Amino acid sequence: MRVYGLIDGNSFYCSCQRAFEPRLKHKPVVVLSNNDGCAIARTREAKALGVKMGDAWHIARKRPESQPVVWYSSNYALYADMSRRMYQVLAERLPAVEPYSIDEMFLDLSDLPGDLHERCRQIRQDVAEHAKIPTCIGWGPTKTIAKVANGVAKDHAELDGLCDLTDPAVRQDWYCRTSIDEVWGIGRQTKQKLLGAGIETIAEFVALDAKTVRQMLTVVGGRVQAELRGQSCLPLSDIAATRKSIASTRTFGRLLLKWEEIREAIAHYANRAAEKLRKDELEAAHLSVLMQTNPHNGDPWYAKHAAITIEPTSDARDLIRHATALGRAIWLPGYRYFKAGVILSDLRPAGSQGLMFTFRDPAQSATVMAALDAVNARFGSGTLLPGSTGLKRTWSPRQSLLSGRYTTRLEEIVKARSW
Amino acid sequence: MNYQGERTTGFASPASDNIEGTIDLMSAALDLRQPSRYPVRVEGDALLGRSIRHGDILVVDSAVAPRAGVVVVASVGDELRVCELTQRAGEWWLRSSSPQASPVQVDDDTDVAIWAVATGLVRTDV
Repeated sequence: MRVYGLIDGNSFYCSCQRAFEPRLKHKPVVVLSNNDGCAIARTREAKALGVKMGDAWHIARKRPESQPVVWYSSNYALYADMSRRMYQVLAERLPAVEPYSIDEMFLDLSDLPGDLHERCRQIRQDVAEHAKIPTCIGWGPTKTIAKVANGVAKDHAELDGLCDLTDPAVRQDWYCRTSIDEVWGIGRQTKQKLLGAGIETIAEFVALDAKTVRQMLTVVGGRVQAELRGQSCLPLSDIAATRKSIASTRTFGRLLLKWEEIREAIAHYANRAAEKLRKDELEAAHLSVLMQTNPHNGDPWYAKHAAITIEPTSDARDLIRHATALGRAIWLPGYRYFKAGVILSDLRPAGSQGLMFTFRDPAQSATVMAALDAVNARFGSGTLLPGSTGLKRTWSPRQSLLSGRYTTRLEEIVKARSW
Repeated sequence: MNYQGERTTGFASPASDNIEGTIDLMSAALDLRQPSRYPVRVEGDALLGRSIRHGDILVVDSAVAPRAGVVVVASVGDELRVCELTQRAGEWWLRSSSPQASPVQVDDDTDVAIWAVATGLVRTDV
């Protein structure tokens, strides 16, 4: 029998911080978005103190009840490595694992010998022991059911982080008690439509005539319903095969007026995007740049986006040149810029030559970039950089509460006192 | 080059049934890509008796079963400590290198836990 599982890390970013800091064990912990803007991950204790998802840090931290909260800047280098550890523990124990997001992975639990509940309990324990991340696992005959099961496991502590929805009767019981809110693929609009039709629980949605559902919510909604009924429509995928685009966009640490500063930021984003491109052995044939003011602070609104087709490349120097030229064309003086970004698309495998007349020297370019990547791999990312990306980067996002990158930077590993 | 002492061209190698991979020190003790391996910087010279110096990098493994006498990184309240592990009457205890300090029992209820077991040591300032 086909069985899909979904495992996810409880308050994943917070759990990554806790893994290396025993003092956080019982404390409310909150991780903030890029630029220390708002809350994006909260432990149970922080939720209990009333910290909401999306709460602005500069407001939330002043509330008296938030006083015990330990706040962190998002440390994506750490979270990515912890996600990698979680994936590896799973991949060593199961025939197929699909990393769906940084903290959620679909599992192939079909036809495993022995008791499935016991197996999942063991997997959960192994992830906690190896990767130091507490998790919940839900499973059932389809991915959508696995996701519902995972939500049930998370909301009901008495289940010890495990929920089996393979049995239709058990499933029906939870469906009656669970809101359609909890269903993967039911967005805000769909929910409004369903509520308008008097549908609140999963049970009510599943009981609808399939044709009615398709008329109301198109084939997408029809697929969600079929999956909830136990008909699998979504197979397990592998690691995301090839990227369609690579984006490097960020909010600045402060509002930027001068072109020189914005140019530095755009060069930096182009360089980061180029690194990602080379890591996946891809080249980009299309590049776009965007720039905007803050929509929320009362400044005049300006948002501009420009794109060009380029000779396929993954050379940081080419991409920086194109991106800054494009950026200069859309930059207007007088605005205080809040955010900019570089997006690479029309990606293709490196070296797949299409053009008859080229201006680039691909062999020389590949050698230079290989040397750049080798230095940065050996001595740490950012050791060697194109000068145009700036040295001081006073526009960098704020990360005033960043913890060590405990597993990716030797100078930042955890310390322990000899006793 | 993929010659391991077995596929000779002239005389058949008498060793061809006994080919083993060369010792892989990385995976045996150091490989931090293993999901349970973490690096820890040692602070202080209290464990000089075990040849562990200030500034050493301990490679620790959170999935290795603890044994009496091993060096562990343990969380004691708010801090991480490097110390020896002992067993007494079926219970695990952290033992200080100082004879004055009394051992601390490993116990979740008092927030004393084994964080990981040392599997290797790297010293860069030799």
